[in-house]
Amino acid sequence: MTADAIKHQLTDIFRDVFNDPTLEITDEMTADDVDGWDSLTHINMILGVEQGFGIRFSIKDVRAMRNVGELVQAIAKKRAN
Amino acid sequence: MRYEAATLDYFALLKEGKTIALPESARTIRLAILADCATQQLGTFLKTLAARNGVRLEIYEGGYDAIDLDILNPASDLYAFDPAYVIVLMTEEKLKSRLYEAADRSAFAGDTIARIRGLWQAFAERSGATLIQSTFVLPTERAFGNYELKAADSVGAIVAEINHQLAVQSREAKNVLLADVDFLAAGIGRLQWRDPRMWNMAKIPCRLDHLPALAQSLLDVLLAASGLFTKCVVLDLDNTLWGGVIGDDGLDGIQLGEFDEGEAFVGLQKFAKELKRRGVILAVVSKNDHANAILPFAEHPYMVLREDDISVFVANWENKADNIRLIQKTLNIGFDSFVFLDDNPFERNIVRTYLPDVIVPELPEDPSLYIDAIARLNLFETASYSKADLSRADQYREEAQRELTKARYGSITDYLASLDMEIRLERFSSFNLPRIAQLIQRSNQFNLMTRRYGEAACEALMHAPDAVPFTLKLGDKFGDYGLISVIVLKHDGDDLAIDEYLMSCRVLQRGVENFAMNAIFSYAARIGAKRVTGRYIPTAKNAMVKNFFGTFGFEIEADEGTAGVRWALDVDRYEPREAIMTVAVNEI
Repeated sequence: MTADAIKHQLTDIFRDVFNDPTLEITDEMTADDVDGWDSLTHINMILGVEQGFGIRFSIKDVRAMRNVGELVQAIAKKRAN
Repeated sequence: MRYEAATLDYFALLKEGKTIALPESARTIRLAILADCATQQLGTFLKTLAARNGVRLEIYEGGYDAIDLDILNPASDLYAFDPAYVIVLMTEEKLKSRLYEAADRSAFAGDTIARIRGLWQAFAERSGATLIQSTFVLPTERAFGNYELKAADSVGAIVAEINHQLAVQSREAKNVLLADVDFLAAGIGRLQWRDPRMWNMAKIPCRLDHLPALAQSLLDVLLAASGLFTKCVVLDLDNTLWGGVIGDDGLDGIQLGEFDEGEAFVGLQKFAKELKRRGVILAVVSKNDHANAILPFAEHPYMVLREDDISVFVANWENKADNIRLIQKTLNIGFDSFVFLDDNPFERNIVRTYLPDVIVPELPEDPSLYIDAIARLNLFETASYSKADLSRADQYREEAQRELTKARYGSITDYLASLDMEIRLERFSSFNLPRIAQLIQRSNQFNLMTRRYGEAACEALMHAPDAVPFTLKLGDKFGDYGLISVIVLKHDGDDLAIDEYLMSCRVLQRGVENFAMNAIFSYAARIGAKRVTGRYIPTAKNAMVKNFFGTFGFEIEADEGTAGVRWALDVDRYEPREAIMTVAVNEI
């Protein structure tokens, strides 16, 4: 799966989870940049990504992601394994 | 349908929660959630699922792992919130931490139960609310393997013992109901249920995608306690209770027996019989000639259900929705307390279309799978169980006979006189409390105030100096109705206030209301009260008693909106009403 394809699907998941149908994601985006991205919706986002991409993150994966770009990389890595 | 499994999807439910639109008049229930895990998502799901049932939940979430603090501190926010229900959700993770640190393992189960019982009692002393206590999910890791339960001091044996003791203790605790979270987790599979990552990261008690199921299960207990539960199962016959078509295949041609599909049908009948035993009314609606339909009940050696297990038996060629309407009229219970079981998709759809409140589960093609399909929906919650449940089916069958007798008499007075009714007006007693609490939960339509006092609150009324709580029991020549009405009077200065008044709809139009009002006014006169006052608090279901006080000559004193309409009548202006019955006992 290419980074672009991942981003495309991830955009839909983010729009759903953060309840914003026009949300656009960027590599540099962090929780501070998105309305309603708190510890609770963060958990929802993890579940959405895991369900959407059919993967499971480890705690280390989750804690290591600092922005959306790193999330995309983590997804790509899990999908490749 | 209220309980469709697909609608317990995590994200679909989150989305649904953002667009809840309940009418202003929707019933509001105040719920506190106390837990030693994170509960934010759970609260959201509970609200959303409750809204599907027309209930608005107002939720107080206790602090994380602050169950004891909230309950033991009389000045806590919990009591300020004044809930009607409190969920106490305790996790096996926290229990295990305590256990691993315990100096004396042999005392651990006993100490834990003592702590939880202490919480129940402290709560009961400060609140009349019902407490819903979770069980502990059994741990998946076992240091002893299969030897775990043989070793009394193993973690698995201790948690199992605690669950067992919770059940035993809850039987005595009148303000406590159980939410069997371990049963729920085991049904899903405990390894599937758990998500240690989510526990470690966010103190979430199970896998996120199972949280909606947990919320539904907790809500099922709450709704049952508040009066919403299955009271009647309507059964189809051909290919539902037995295999084949009795009219075509004949008595020895239908499948009912000791193996294959015949055994599966026997299995469903056994479960139906168990439901009847615990107070669910069974009815039959079948497209058949009556003589054919009744034949297996009388003569088939493998039939489990017999004619006297069925309270209303309807076999004809009419539309099944119309037949269920007829049963609803005879039994006088809400359509939302009916479950309809039929193998035929056409019949299921007709009933769904015309009676959308009736619960109509999809049944799989293989009758071996009927019971599991029903089990998945958890359709048979109850918040009480008493001796009255054992004889309910008989009472309703007697009712059907009364309806037939009714047709033979010209005037209602002649008819009522022919019944030889006998009434007993008795004060609340500890013997009657379970049945009283149960009637309070079950009655929706003839219920003026819908206060839903639990057993503990009823017991408190018995000892309150200004309260006169009593019940009515009715019998007639056809049988015994048992305890059919609960009334609470309160001395209120110069007034006698009717604080609670509800009656089983089965005994409508027999003059019981007249007898009760006569008794209330003669008591008021005896204690020197100037007026009798009452209140009608509207709900979605009690419109039938909207003008109840008006029919006795009461006048409206004030309309206080959701707090209800206040009615009053001077004692010396009351005209006694006709009540054709013998008074066997009068304790006020």
